[in-house]
Amino acid sequence: MSTKRETKLDLFDIQGNIMQNFAEKGFIKARYLFLEIKNGNRGREFVTKIKPLITTSARWTNDASDPYGTTEPSATSNISFTYNALKKLGLPILSLHSFPDEFAIGMRGRRAILGDNYSSDPENWDPVWNTHDVEVHMLISIEAKNMDNLEERYNKILSLVAETNGGVILFDGSLKDEDGKEITYQDAHALDNEAGQPTAKEHFGYTDGISNPYFKGMLPGMGSVIGGGKKNPKALGIGEPKGNQGNPILASTWAPLETGEFILGHEDEAQEYPACPTPPLLGKNGSFMVYRKLHENVGMFNDMLEKTGADYPGGKEGLASKFAGRWRNGAPLATFPNEEDGKKIAAAREAAQYKQAVAKTPEEIAAANAEFEEVNKHFTGFDFQKDLHGGKCPLGAHIRRVNPRGSLEEDSASYNTPSALADRRRIIRRGLPYGTSTPNSNTGEHGIIFMAIQANIKRQFEFVTQQWMNYGSDFKLANEKDALLGNQTPDKDKDGNPIENVDGTMVIPGDDGKVPYFVSQIPRMIETRGGDYFFIPSLTTLEMLGKRIIDPT
Amino acid sequence: MPNRSTSKNSERAYGLSIYCPIKNEHEGDVSFTSLVRTALQDFKEDEDSPMAKVPNTYLARFFIVDDVIFESFPHTNDHLQSAYLAFSTNFHGNLDEYLTGMYENMNTKIHNVWQYCYGFEKVKDAASFIAYIKKVQVETSYFFVGSNDDSLPEQLKSLYLKQEFSKFVFANQSKSDDELLAAYKEFDARTKPAVLEGPTWRAGAGSLKNVNKG
Amino acid sequence: MSNIAGKAYSMNLMTPITRKMILINKLIFWIAGTPYFSGALNGLRTLSLIHYARWVVVGRKQFPHVSPDQPEEDLEYNYMFFNSNFNGSWTQYVDSFSMAIPSGLNLLWKKNVGWPDAVPETPFNRYVINNQIWSSHYYCAYPMAASNDVKAGQSIKGGVEELSKGLDSISAADFRKKYDATTKKLENDISMMAPTPVVSLANLAIEKRERIEEGKK
Repeated sequence: MSTKRETKLDLFDIQGNIMQNFAEKGFIKARYLFLEIKNGNRGREFVTKIKPLITTSARWTNDASDPYGTTEPSATSNISFTYNALKKLGLPILSLHSFPDEFAIGMRGRRAILGDNYSSDPENWDPVWNTHDVEVHMLISIEAKNMDNLEERYNKILSLVAETNGGVILFDGSLKDEDGKEITYQDAHALDNEAGQPTAKEHFGYTDGISNPYFKGMLPGMGSVIGGGKKNPKALGIGEPKGNQGNPILASTWAPLETGEFILGHEDEAQEYPACPTPPLLGKNGSFMVYRKLHENVGMFNDMLEKTGADYPGGKEGLASKFAGRWRNGAPLATFPNEEDGKKIAAAREAAQYKQAVAKTPEEIAAANAEFEEVNKHFTGFDFQKDLHGGKCPLGAHIRRVNPRGSLEEDSASYNTPSALADRRRIIRRGLPYGTSTPNSNTGEHGIIFMAIQANIKRQFEFVTQQWMNYGSDFKLANEKDALLGNQTPDKDKDGNPIENVDGTMVIPGDDGKVPYFVSQIPRMIETRGGDYFFIPSLTTLEMLGKRIIDPT
Repeated sequence: MPNRSTSKNSERAYGLSIYCPIKNEHEGDVSFTSLVRTALQDFKEDEDSPMAKVPNTYLARFFIVDDVIFESFPHTNDHLQSAYLAFSTNFHGNLDEYLTGMYENMNTKIHNVWQYCYGFEKVKDAASFIAYIKKVQVETSYFFVGSNDDSLPEQLKSLYLKQEFSKFVFANQSKSDDELLAAYKEFDARTKPAVLEGPTWRAGAGSLKNVNKG
Repeated sequence: MSNIAGKAYSMNLMTPITRKMILINKLIFWIAGTPYFSGALNGLRTLSLIHYARWVVVGRKQFPHVSPDQPEEDLEYNYMFFNSNFNGSWTQYVDSFSMAIPSGLNLLWKKNVGWPDAVPETPFNRYVINNQIWSSHYYCAYPMAASNDVKAGQSIKGGVEELSKGLDSISAADFRKKYDATTKKLENDISMMAPTPVVSLANLAIEKRERIEEGKK
């Protein structure tokens, strides 16, 4: 195929958080700012002034001749807007009304769809999302390798806010830090191991963020087609030795997803342009983002592992792996059902990551990257075709629910598209843990700042949350919920009245003829603490918003 | 016969489709079509639906075809002369028995709704109801059974047992052999697996609170 | 007005077929119904979202005529009615139908006037919504059960009946063996049912209103 026909994106027009995983590049300190636009004119001035600070999707390189490249910044910043922000900035009503309904309604209004009830009810969210006269309009995220760089960028943005003379306000007194002190931002950071080295683990101890979608227009280094793409309908293993057809470890089994699943203004998996606001340039190269603060009940999780893990034949680690579908070190159960094998491959991946971190010369870097890719494909290149009954990775395991990798199409010959049921539900995941925890922490400030980026919040994030995490029908699991992220109903309400429910269970099918294990009394381990739906405009749109020149006529 | 599935293991399920012309009349300022719609929309839902009392009904719906749908291209001026009350039901068993059960268990509602239809004035009892329905029945071209064709009491008992047995299994994980057998005997005595009459699920029940019967 | 009865969604699609295509349509259904031909419908079966569905072709002269007072119909087209009972809502699963089984959908609706093709999705979705008639009343005998649950129930009932045989004489150790074999066999059927997650924004609107009345934001 002629490379001239391949998707070519204007990476300088697309905000960087869409196509770049900053945390993977060592930008493991993050700060999120919530702002309200009080005055449209000054709000637009602010948008214009912040534009030069916005990080794009261009790749970071020292090669000045790279047409897709730019130098690595000391800190990144990205901006996104709620529906009410666009209204406040003076977007014409025709354009406003052309945005999707779920975006206009926002996360609080969609809580019944998302299952944000009981402890996740908006009345229990952080004050910034939960105070009557507070309306979050803009979300600015900052990432950096260290706190000094982060603070420097933060102060720069603070001075831009100050210049608006109250036209844009940064919420203060609306958030609390770990000690209960009121602060003006949400911080997040990679968690350190015992040796003080940063890790990719979240508070439950799982290595997170391993798999992200791979789509057309991505450059080498932005992701991996193996497991990140969709099942390749045309070339399932073509050119590979017989018996290898459809082997998920091979790149030929996969194909990049269409760009329009993630970025507006480009073809999507339904072979059309995704729904996009009017005029099309307003949406083009933009995307939608869900920002969600997820509190983790670490103590409850550990209690569950201790108690049930003592009885479960696979022990504590085995149980933890069945919940997630990966060992806590990240090795997938589908291909590494044995813990020792999982440990070996995880150690190899860690060693490769270390080499990447210490590589200096271009040759060393290239060699380290190649080595990492070789080992990492074992973490992303798998599916469930040989495990349809879930003996290795349960049907209800977290990673199998949120990305079934073609396993819902059991009899794939009956389908025109081999992984159609998953291809339109993929999301780009961003975010970092926040707070610190001990093994007993339940109350307090610790969890994950989770962000989902996609072209259509309703079809992608909301569907996955409602139908696949908080429900099990598509997996023939009736109402079984995700053990880790499901909104398990509590047995009692706030006043101590019993609530009739059948939640808190998980079936762990037995492998190789072994008896299944039936876990019950799983508590709600993750609770929503706030968030909203945001539009991430292109740099072009940011400029037009600032100049107020968007005209849908 | 296409009103039944052509697949051997689902031929006890029946798909009845009827289209009844609604009289082109009005009562006061309200058309008969609107009166039919109101009568249907006033039906209570779930276990209080009149259909919950009709034996062996799996799923059923009423809708009104008030005209054909215009397709823009190629352009035609197709229009219906009457609106049609459509009733589409999926049930287990034999048509005459089903309609008899329907008439016996909801004849007031039937007359409430159908009184506005042409030809219905002749319906006085189950036999005349069956005769009328067969006149307004249209043949199904293809009937697809994605579920099964067991009788409704069998399906409801199966669902009841799925629910109760699953609860049992979760509650008795890792019990000793003696405890397990004792618990199962209690389960067996309580759920009466072979008895369809009950305990079982209540037809049409939509919540955990009221689903069990007997 | 509701297309929703618990986990079931009712769809009524009314689409015209031209006079000359009516025979071809009947042939398609005849073929689809033969056991040798499963291509178009196997996807529907494995999608496993459907309780019961039917295709009914009403010829231009076949709308029931039951009384001399009833005006005669004079129609140009024949009409096909598709009535389906499936789990989820149309909006939620339109993507699954469109991309997963477009050739099956195209075969069954191919010759209907205005049918746009199952891909791309937007014109297909628009056609379906334009030609859909909302149900005035919809009833399901088991609002908490999806089609998969009904099927799983059938397997479980068989397993439980077997397990209940000879309870008076079986030893605890033998029962354990039998029980383990049963739960192993039924491991993909054992799960509990509860009401469906919220599918309708109309319900949401009600909840929202209640919240506002309670003085919460």
